Amino acid sequence: MTEASMIGLLVATVSFGALLYLAALGELISEKAGVLNLGVEGMMAMGAVSAFMAAHQTGNPWIGLVAGVAGGALAGLLHGWFTVVLGAEQVVSGLSLTILGLGFSAYMGKNVVGLPPGAVLKPVDWGPLTDIPWAGPVLFGQAPFVYLAVLAGFATWFLLWRTGIGLALRAAGDSASTADAAGHSVVGLRLGAVVAGGGLAGASGAYLTLSLTPQWTEGITAGRGWIAVALVIFGAWRPGRAAVGALLFGGLLALKTRLQTFGVDFSPILLSMLPYVLTITVLIAISIRARNRPSPAPAALGTAYRREER
Amino acid sequence: MRRPVLVRRDRPVRGGQPLAFAVGLILALVVGAILLVAAGHEPLRVYQRMFEKSLGDPTAWSLTLNRAVPLGLAGLAVAVAGSMGLWNIGAEGQILAGAMGAAWVARIGGAWPGPMLLTGMLAGAIVGGGLLALVPAVARARIGVNEIITTLMLNEIALRLLQWLIHGPWKDPDSFNFPLTPMLPDQGHLPTLFERAHIGVLIAGAVILVFGVAASRTAWGYELRVAGSSADTARYAGISLKRKILTVLLLSGGVAGLAGGVELAGTADRITEGISNGFGYAGIIVAALALLRPSGVAAVALLFGAVQVGGQSIQIIGVPASVSTILQAFILFGAIGAGVFVRYSVRLVLTGVDASASEDGEAAA
Repeated sequence: MTEASMIGLLVATVSFGALLYLAALGELISEKAGVLNLGVEGMMAMGAVSAFMAAHQTGNPWIGLVAGVAGGALAGLLHGWFTVVLGAEQVVSGLSLTILGLGFSAYMGKNVVGLPPGAVLKPVDWGPLTDIPWAGPVLFGQAPFVYLAVLAGFATWFLLWRTGIGLALRAAGDSASTADAAGHSVVGLRLGAVVAGGGLAGASGAYLTLSLTPQWTEGITAGRGWIAVALVIFGAWRPGRAAVGALLFGGLLALKTRLQTFGVDFSPILLSMLPYVLTITVLIAISIRARNRPSPAPAALGTAYRREER
Repeated sequence: MRRPVLVRRDRPVRGGQPLAFAVGLILALVVGAILLVAAGHEPLRVYQRMFEKSLGDPTAWSLTLNRAVPLGLAGLAVAVAGSMGLWNIGAEGQILAGAMGAAWVARIGGAWPGPMLLTGMLAGAIVGGGLLALVPAVARARIGVNEIITTLMLNEIALRLLQWLIHGPWKDPDSFNFPLTPMLPDQGHLPTLFERAHIGVLIAGAVILVFGVAASRTAWGYELRVAGSSADTARYAGISLKRKILTVLLLSGGVAGLAGGVELAGTADRITEGISNGFGYAGIIVAALALLRPSGVAAVALLFGAVQVGGQSIQIIGVPASVSTILQAFILFGAIGAGVFVRYSVRLVLTGVDASASEDGEAAA
């Protein structure tokens, strides 16, 4: 294993980690407000295709990013409208959103499949920092999305645990009637969280088509949305722990294509099972521990709230 | 100021669900038409072709019925768990596990006579699907682990296992390196019913019927519903929740597994990566639209089968098959939206200052 290939692995670990982290943060915010959204995969696909098409049309990658976020947020709004406003079953609506997002993105993007990108988001120029051995390429040679993900992680933590809105939002996810009684609009809080979550999933999708693999193909999300859902649980609904998990799962994604180069005789397909196996293990561990201490999961997660029926 | 508020009706509107379903179908067709026009297609021509190729003649019907088989069994699997308030999101993975179980039996029993091989394959499919549901079932029953996430994760795990098998140990040596298993032996095909339809249609119909009767006419079904509506009531009535959860989730997995086995022996003939084609996820929509009732599952599965078969038929005239995916999702969203008004009515209520002012006014009057 050469030094160059090792650095390559770390660079890919950080960029895949950021990709997963963006989408996972969105899901985390949504779940903290009490709304399970299994539509991440679909929202990512919507973000990916919107970003690619906008960048393709305008030649401006930043407009692409905005379009990607908007595409994801709009998809999130659909889930929010049905689950929060109309009180539909969250599991069913979320899975339908995944199906819809995958189908809709395929339909929208059918004329740009395989085309060269109109614009890509190039790595940020950090000047001399990029020349530092190891840390230079790994930390300072990355696309803007990586720094966006770090920023989003801190912002999410600050918003949820250091502001009044965050407190109200977490209350909406733990005990909606309490949040309501305290004078907060549960519908508004939850809707906002789901839309914000969709925007972050859209940003993650935009990362795919504007930087990581800058082109559009049907099914480009390749199940990463499910890993994002897993990450929220793996990270016990905390942005910091989810970041650690994102690097771990990102590392596994990065390792998958490099096993052979490293001379390891193990099936990359079986390796890619690991995130899901780990998540099930963590979930079981959480449940066993929950006998003695409260579960980290939002108490009202997955349940609709109607004031008239509390 | 007045704002609209949803108020629960004393009882749901009679015949409301079929009506909601129709609203969903119409909404889906309208949205689909807009998308088709936007891409320069003629919606009426596309819809006409979809209808003809899925329900227009016996051949079309046979294809639709074949499609409805995995959709109906997956839908039933979700509905069975759902009747107890459990979400089996893992039908997709259980279908794959069922196909793997059936293929495994076919590998060792390649020389068996037809009836024995087919019975063995379908049994293998049920066991395969049940095995994949084992961890979520035990974890949920014994330590209360949320089955939504565990079953969801196992979909991805089953998919990787299948990919590994067809890229490696089970790969057809004559496949020119394509990731697929060898074809089933001749006697391992399900016999034909009519045209292209295989007897999997009868198997699925019988299974759905049995569960329908068991759910509505037996003590077992009654206990399920009690356990689903209130854990406390169930405990008071002496129903063992742990055992119920365990059996229901394993049964649900087995039914979804059977879908994989029937799909393999009836339609696919060999395992490829796309053997399930999203049937498990579509099955969740089918079950939701059917309000978790077995009879409804059969009807909705038939409609979704028609939409999917129709969707494939329009590719020849240059329309992407993703149109049918979009239609299926919008049928559900439309039906959910309309379904709300089956159970709720909209009232305009006074809010904020106005409300308290008018209350004061009434008190004074």
